[in-house]
Amino acid sequence: MALRLGADFVAGVLVGAVFGWGFDALLGTSPWGLIVFLLLGFAAGILSLLRTAGLIAKRPGLDDDAAFRRFD
Amino acid sequence: MATDPIHQFQIHKLVPIEVGGVDFSFTNSALFMVVTVVSASAFLILSARGRGLVPGRWQSAAEVVYEFVAKTLRDATGSDGMRFFPLVFSLFIFILFANLIGMFPYFFTVTSHLIITVALAMIVMGTVVFYGFRRHGLHFLKLFTPSGLPAPLLPVVTFIEVLSFISRPVSLSIRLFANMLAGHITLKVFAGFVATLGSLGVAGVLGAILPLAATVALTALEFLVAALQAYVFAVLTCLYLNDALHPGH
Repeated sequence: MALRLGADFVAGVLVGAVFGWGFDALLGTSPWGLIVFLLLGFAAGILSLLRTAGLIAKRPGLDDDAAFRRFD
Repeated sequence: MATDPIHQFQIHKLVPIEVGGVDFSFTNSALFMVVTVVSASAFLILSARGRGLVPGRWQSAAEVVYEFVAKTLRDATGSDGMRFFPLVFSLFIFILFANLIGMFPYFFTVTSHLIITVALAMIVMGTVVFYGFRRHGLHFLKLFTPSGLPAPLLPVVTFIEVLSFISRPVSLSIRLFANMLAGHITLKVFAGFVATLGSLGVAGVLGAILPLAATVALTALEFLVAALQAYVFAVLTCLYLNDALHPGH
């Protein structure tokens, strides 16, 4: 379980970093693309991590999800 | 040299094949993929050959695996998702057999290479995207837009959702690959301690007891990880397929 959560988070940050790096390489906006995408990737990593842990609804907009109701 | 923990992951060509400048060589990795597929097929075909109403030992084992995967898929996606059963079952059996075959000494672990696990993850994500768009059209994109969100936040949240979606195949492949790679390296390092300490005389042999015990314990753990990671891969495949079947809601 621990590695599952770790992989979720690391994957988000990695994807953000790769996107930002590619964005900068294409448009020559270094280092802003990397900074912004890394932060967004961080958020995406936390999001999928919380979904894996079942702390928020598995799918967006599913407010009556059982996993969500527990934390009302 | 004998205790080099990385040596077991080296790929070498068994039958060099080159088509139009592209390397299509039959490697040890390819050989063990064939071994995996053949042994998995043999297990399922031979055990189901009896077709007993009261299953024997082998048929029971095959039925347990079948029902286990079917139940996992049905719980995650509903009976609607059973159309994906062949995909999920093939993935589960392939990864399970590849992991378990890798546990034999001197055998190659197919799933310890990132390219293999990435290919498996891309099959899953390709199916999710293709089927999602084919069945729901542009409604599939609702997956990325949470309902009831203030308009100014929508672009940011949608983008984070998209990044989170793209990171799924990454985490799916890295998880399996990292587990198998790390497990086999740890096993090899501890086993290497036994050999190195054992050559240092009486004190060394006594000292080698500890890493030997650790190796035995780790071997058991690795069998657990081999089965568990196949299961985790199958469960996550089911969850992602569920998104393709019921996006947004």
